[in-house]
Amino acid sequence: MTAGENPFGDLLQDYIVECLPLAEQVGDAFVELERSWQSGEPGDDLLTTVKGRLHTIKGNSAMMGIAPARDIAHALEDACGFLGRSPDACTADAAALLIAGGGLLVELVGGASPELDPASATAFVERVRAYLTAAPGAATAGSDRRQTERRGPRSDEGEAAGNTVRIDFRRLDAMLEVLGEGLIQHSSLVELYRRLLRKVGAGVELEELDQTVLSLQKTLTRLESTLMEARLLPVSTVLGRFPRLVRDVAHAEGKKVRLEVSGGETALDKAVLDRLGEPLLHLVSNAVAHGLEHPEERTRAGKPAEGHIRLRAASVSGRVIIRVSDDGRGLDEEAIRAKAESLGLDVRNVDIAQLHNLVFVSGLSTAERVTTLSGRGLGLDVAANVIHALGGTIEVESRKGQGTAFTLSLPVTLAIVRSLIVEVDRERYAVPLSHVAETVRAEPEAIRQINNQGVTQWRGDLIHVADAGAVLGTPESSRGLRPFYVVMTAGAKRRGLLVDRLIGHQDIVVKGLDPALGRPTVVSGTTILGDGRVACILDVVRILDGVAHVN
Amino acid sequence: MSTDARAVAEPLLGFADSLPAAAADTAAPASMLHLLTFTLDREEFGIPVTQVREVIRVDGITRVPQVPAHVRGVTNLRGRILAVVEIRTRLGLTPAVVTPSSRIVVVELVGRALGLLVDRVSQVTKVPVDSVAPPPEEVVTAETDFLTGVARWNSRLIMLLDLDKVLLLNA
Repeated sequence: MTAGENPFGDLLQDYIVECLPLAEQVGDAFVELERSWQSGEPGDDLLTTVKGRLHTIKGNSAMMGIAPARDIAHALEDACGFLGRSPDACTADAAALLIAGGGLLVELVGGASPELDPASATAFVERVRAYLTAAPGAATAGSDRRQTERRGPRSDEGEAAGNTVRIDFRRLDAMLEVLGEGLIQHSSLVELYRRLLRKVGAGVELEELDQTVLSLQKTLTRLESTLMEARLLPVSTVLGRFPRLVRDVAHAEGKKVRLEVSGGETALDKAVLDRLGEPLLHLVSNAVAHGLEHPEERTRAGKPAEGHIRLRAASVSGRVIIRVSDDGRGLDEEAIRAKAESLGLDVRNVDIAQLHNLVFVSGLSTAERVTTLSGRGLGLDVAANVIHALGGTIEVESRKGQGTAFTLSLPVTLAIVRSLIVEVDRERYAVPLSHVAETVRAEPEAIRQINNQGVTQWRGDLIHVADAGAVLGTPESSRGLRPFYVVMTAGAKRRGLLVDRLIGHQDIVVKGLDPALGRPTVVSGTTILGDGRVACILDVVRILDGVAHVN
Repeated sequence: MSTDARAVAEPLLGFADSLPAAAADTAAPASMLHLLTFTLDREEFGIPVTQVREVIRVDGITRVPQVPAHVRGVTNLRGRILAVVEIRTRLGLTPAVVTPSSRIVVVELVGRALGLLVDRVSQVTKVPVDSVAPPPEEVVTAETDFLTGVARWNSRLIMLLDLDKVLLLNA
């Protein structure tokens, strides 16, 4: 069966969905294998697992008529079989060959199409053949036996396929939409109940209504968490790409790198995860290309020649924290300072932490040169923008000669956000609770004016307190002091926001901004409240960044 | 008040019915324009019914900070967020004061719904194509730019709005 006659057009997607992760695992395993061989371990278990996966890929590729992928999987399977029997042949060359093959396989499976050019696959298969015949103890390494083996799709070892269905993610989105309507209707019921209670006073029926509305809320909450769970995927689906990437960049840069990934099981909404890949990719390749020194330089500095990059994910109080750290040279403070000054920024009085965080300012990347992988046009400023658009924060810490760490804090989901509803000049706004530290009654004597900005003591620190009317540019902004302020936080930044009323906490369903509304910076979206009115969701990160000022 | 409401509601109720009928009508007098007309101050404006999705009452328009000029805010259209355009200021008039007869005309523009805040919706009207003249050139106001023509019919003067131009908000 040739690729051109592929009769399975519709099945191609299924093939990619099933085989691409397998191919990626194979690629990662080869990188790991290289590491164990270097440290003198045979890595037999790895070889066995890899062989199983290659066999599945081979079978499915044959079934789909994707000959190049089938042939590479076959050749790699043979090579693994041979290497398992011949420990002497487990050399750096063999590892390089396997890794190259793994990369090629990922490419072929990922880009699978009937028009695939088989030339690169053929060339690689030849390389493996040549290697197998030339390697020590190659006499037994024939592949004849395997070629007669029955070809057919076989599912990977013992997956509990019976209880799993594939579902289009858009259906989950549609369900969420319906749930959102349910949540709004519930809020309307609560509102109606309150009005009724005021009108007719307490009574048995009203008591029952109250109980029913309460249990409806519990049901909806359960439905919400079940649905949200269905949308979650482990972070490893993104982090899994990095071992190979790091190896490739390290190779291209002539560096030695050990990557340690942990917390891959941490779960995130697919909608967040989908947009996280690119900024993370940038941070990681940046760490290899610019963060870590060359081996000689490291040795001179008394460090191990092999650089160490850690990629850690964890769930912390409703948010997901992802940390990318290296033990490299640290940020070049002088270069940042010089670059900032050349851009006309006044950096005389900024502290070190503020100076470091200038790397997220557009045009301030200090990379000395552009490399193929880290210099693909996406700067740290763009990475930071993506994180902010997801409602997240990014911060950098660095110590000269000891390393750099980027810490990302992300919401688990974008779809439903627990928020504080506040009122400002008779309009209501939602403030995501993850950005609210406290709500405080504003005492006139406790808020002082310094340089036309309100300042108050909060938990032993001085923080700015801004009038929400000024931040939101409300037309009838009262100039008097509003009775409450909300302490908003994003990363290390904090600021009080003076509001007229605190309405309460509510799970809100985030709706986007119509393109006709342009691109406001102080609000990130809209939602519908219990009374049917629309409220804007404050973009706390950008308000605290100070870029978001109306007047 | 109630007669007022009925005067508005009845033509609207007939609006949906008129759509298939309108299609059938076209066979005989092929040259009738079907317009939804509304008033801004004392002037009557018309837009093709084919561009209108529905007409809704004004039930709370939420201001959104930092939006382009002529955007009044957003409203809840059965669970969807609808952006509402302040068409009066777009045409050089003073901002609308929402009254009980104010309506939001939901129009469809390149597949997207947008609301137009108007003072009052009059009715669905059929006017002969040949009653339409080009916008009078001697009258130079902000609004003539946004007209495709002026219809004179049964002693009424209906200004035909060029929705594409009016709603090109960033221009």
